[in-house]
Amino acid sequence: MSIADAIAKKIAEQPIPSLMAVQLLKVIEDEDHSLKEVVRLVETDASLTTEVLKVANSAAYYRGQPVTTISRAVLLLGEMMVVGVAICASSSIVFHAPLDGYNSQKGEMWEHSLRTAIAARELARYARKSISPGLAFTAGLLHDIGKSVISGFIAGSTEEMAQSCQNGGVTDFIEAERKLLGTDHAEVGYALAQRWGLPELLCAAIRDHHQPAQSDEKYKGLVYTVHLADLISMIGGCGTGSDSLAYRLDNNYVEYIRFEKEELELLLLKIQGDFVSLKTAILAD
Amino acid sequence: MDIVYVGVGEFLTSKTPGQTIRTLALGSCVAVITLDPKSRTAGLLHVALPDSSINKKRADERPGMFADTGIVKLLDEMKASGFDGTGALTIKLAGGASIMGINNTFNIGKRNVLAVRKCLWRYRLGAVAEEVGGNISRSVSVDIMSGRVIISSPGMGDWEI
Repeated sequence: MSIADAIAKKIAEQPIPSLMAVQLLKVIEDEDHSLKEVVRLVETDASLTTEVLKVANSAAYYRGQPVTTISRAVLLLGEMMVVGVAICASSSIVFHAPLDGYNSQKGEMWEHSLRTAIAARELARYARKSISPGLAFTAGLLHDIGKSVISGFIAGSTEEMAQSCQNGGVTDFIEAERKLLGTDHAEVGYALAQRWGLPELLCAAIRDHHQPAQSDEKYKGLVYTVHLADLISMIGGCGTGSDSLAYRLDNNYVEYIRFEKEELELLLLKIQGDFVSLKTAILAD
Repeated sequence: MDIVYVGVGEFLTSKTPGQTIRTLALGSCVAVITLDPKSRTAGLLHVALPDSSINKKRADERPGMFADTGIVKLLDEMKASGFDGTGALTIKLAGGASIMGINNTFNIGKRNVLAVRKCLWRYRLGAVAEEVGGNISRSVSVDIMSGRVIISSPGMGDWEI
């Protein structure tokens, strides 16, 4: 079997997020939907209800009084973030397994995804054209789903790939993946996102997060947001092992997102604080 | 193995033989390692940002988050646990990495390293070894008994500085 066929087979074998997450996405995609429909769907699922309330009551969102109803939680978090929580809660293999091929331990993929999600949500506030913070959060959460698929295929070559990034043999880890496999975690993530039936905007954010300039103009605001958020997550010390920091910044982000040096430092401080409180909230029983 | 971990914006000192102080995945953060051979005390601070003036309230809650306030606290802590202020304090730095192709705004790692050096100069202190910059994420372990400082990075193994 060729590598391409083996990767395609692996994509097909990945578990699909719960029916609930898919149903939620369908409801939200319909522009005429009401908030009540979202609330009603979440309420039918006891474990999702618990997860959503946990996030709404975490220190990162706490507004002085406990949130006890789903309708208040959905208003507070936004619909897209609720979808993100639903996808994560039901895709534990993608988020919680160790990525051996990246020398990344159990939990690192989840922490990197969560931190990127928080960074994307915060960066959305600096976007030149309005981006929903909830949408940015979910795109950040999902951007690296392809890594769970290709991790097994790069195992054994990882050290060489990391060295190649350091000594200039390749421009970044994405190129190292492509050289070895003919594809990369972003492209594979896109294929997986399509199989999951995610909206095209989210698929594009996954596919283009390391090559934002190549994205369709109408997606670029979100794509650059996720691009920056991913790198911010890595410089904050939350990577996924051997590829951490081995990526390039596309400085054209200034066309889509604008912040000053001091604002970035404040942003990093806020992201660090929210990351600690959300991580604790989600992991708490 | 007796390992104590230092999180982001935290610091601690130890003189317990057999203990190891460890901090993980520095990224653009900088680890400031202090070793006093006389009292056999080691300290480690994990700094995330250069300057506390951006958020004074946060600096009061967690001084170790910033280079300026963190170094003051680390040196106080070293004195409290046995460093008598005489003789040479050995200082080593690690971290301050970045991604590739960055502009000035994004070079937090470099700004952190410069801020740490500047704060140390105020005490007439300087690092004898630095493992900083570049595009790799580093973890640091300090062995209290031997004073050895070991750097590790995923897929690149371990080395001493």
